[in-house]
Amino acid sequence: MRNTNRALNRLLLAILGVLLLGAGAALIAAGTLPGAAGFWETTLSSAREHVRNLAGTAPLPDPVRSWWLVLGIAVLLVGAVLGAVWLASQGGGKTPRLAERSEGSAGRTVVDAGLVSAAVKEALNGHPDVLATSVSAWESRRGTALRLRLEARKGASPREISNTVEQLLQEIDAWLGHPVPVLVRITSGTRTQVSAARRAR
Amino acid sequence: MSKDAASRRLTRRETHSSRAIPSIVTASLLIAVFLWLTLEAVLWLLKDQPLLASPAQLLEWLIGLPVNTTQAGMVAAGAGLGILALVLLGLALGTGRRQRRALGSERAAVVVDHEVIAAAVSRTARRAAGLAPGQVTTTVGGRSVRVQVRPTSGEPLVVEDIQAAVDGELAAYALERPVRSTVQILNEGAVGQ
Repeated sequence: MRNTNRALNRLLLAILGVLLLGAGAALIAAGTLPGAAGFWETTLSSAREHVRNLAGTAPLPDPVRSWWLVLGIAVLLVGAVLGAVWLASQGGGKTPRLAERSEGSAGRTVVDAGLVSAAVKEALNGHPDVLATSVSAWESRRGTALRLRLEARKGASPREISNTVEQLLQEIDAWLGHPVPVLVRITSGTRTQVSAARRAR
Repeated sequence: MSKDAASRRLTRRETHSSRAIPSIVTASLLIAVFLWLTLEAVLWLLKDQPLLASPAQLLEWLIGLPVNTTQAGMVAAGAGLGILALVLLGLALGTGRRQRRALGSERAAVVVDHEVIAAAVSRTARRAAGLAPGQVTTTVGGRSVRVQVRPTSGEPLVVEDIQAAVDGELAAYALERPVRSTVQILNEGAVGQ
C-alpha cells in the first residue's frame, strides 16, 4: 500500500551489488595475480597524479587552492543528498481522508477513513473468527485505496472471513455511493496467539 | 474471477516485498560514508587534523594495499565484499515473495497469510478425520501444502477422505497461485485420545 518506489529500490540495490562485486573481484585479483597487483598500483598512482595536476589548474585563493577540489567536495555532497533522497522515497501515502468531493460554493464533502473504520469495527464486533480489525486509507497517483487488516482466529477459514468482508464491502459501497479499491489482508497476530481455537460450531 | 488493474496491483504489492528495509540500511550507510568523506576533504583543505584519515592518506593506503596485505587477507576481504554483493543482488533480483497469497474475490484484493491457510487446512483435516487438536500439522509453501496427520493409536485413517476434505477446502479459496496438496499419515500414533 505504501508508495515506496519498488523498481528504484531494486535498481539501486542491483547497481550497488554489481559495484561491490567488482570491488571484491578486484581485491581478490590484486591479492592473487602478480600482474593484477601491478596494474592496481599503476592505475591508482596515475589517478593520483591526475588529481594533483588538476588541483594545480583553475586556481583559487589559498585554503581552497582549486575549483577542481571544490567540485570534488560538491560531488561528495551530491552523493550524500542522493542517498537522502533514496531514503526519503521509502514508504508514505497514508492519509486520514478516504474520499473528497468539492461542490463549488456549496462546500466540500470529506469522508474520513475513521468513519469506515468505525463501521467495520461495529459490523465485525462479536464475529467469532475475526479477533481484531484495523482500517487505513492510502493514496497514490492512482487514487485512494482502503486497506482492511483482519486478525483471524486460529483455524478460521479465510474463505468465510473473506465472504463476510465482501458482504460488508457491498454495504459500504452502497453507503459511500461509489466503490473504492480495497485490499483485505487476513493475517495472524498477537490476538491470534493468545486466543483459543474454536472447539465446535 | 475478473479483476481490474487496481486490484491486481494491490495484490502484487501486498504479496511481494518492497525491499524498503535493505534500501533504508544501504541508503543510511551511503549517506554516512559520503558525509564522512566530505568532512575529511574539507578538513584536509583547511589543513586541519583528520577525523580518521585524510583523503591523501586514504589514497596512499589504497595504492599500497596489495603490497602491504597478505594474499589471504586480500582474498578474505574480496570474498567478504563478494558475499555482501551477492546478498544485495539476491535482494534486488529475487522474486521477493512474502509468505502470503491472494484469495479469489470479486470485490476486493484479498491476501491471506500462509499461517492462516495452514491453520484452516489443519482444522479441516482434523474435522474430516475426527482427531484432536495437535494431531494435524500443515505446512504451506510456495507451490505445495503438506498435511501431516498423526493418527490415534489403533484407529486407522483413510488418506483419501482427508485428501478430499483438504482439496475441497483449498478449492474454496480459489487461490490465484494454485497449490498442490499432499496428505501424509505418520506411522507413529498418538496414544489415548
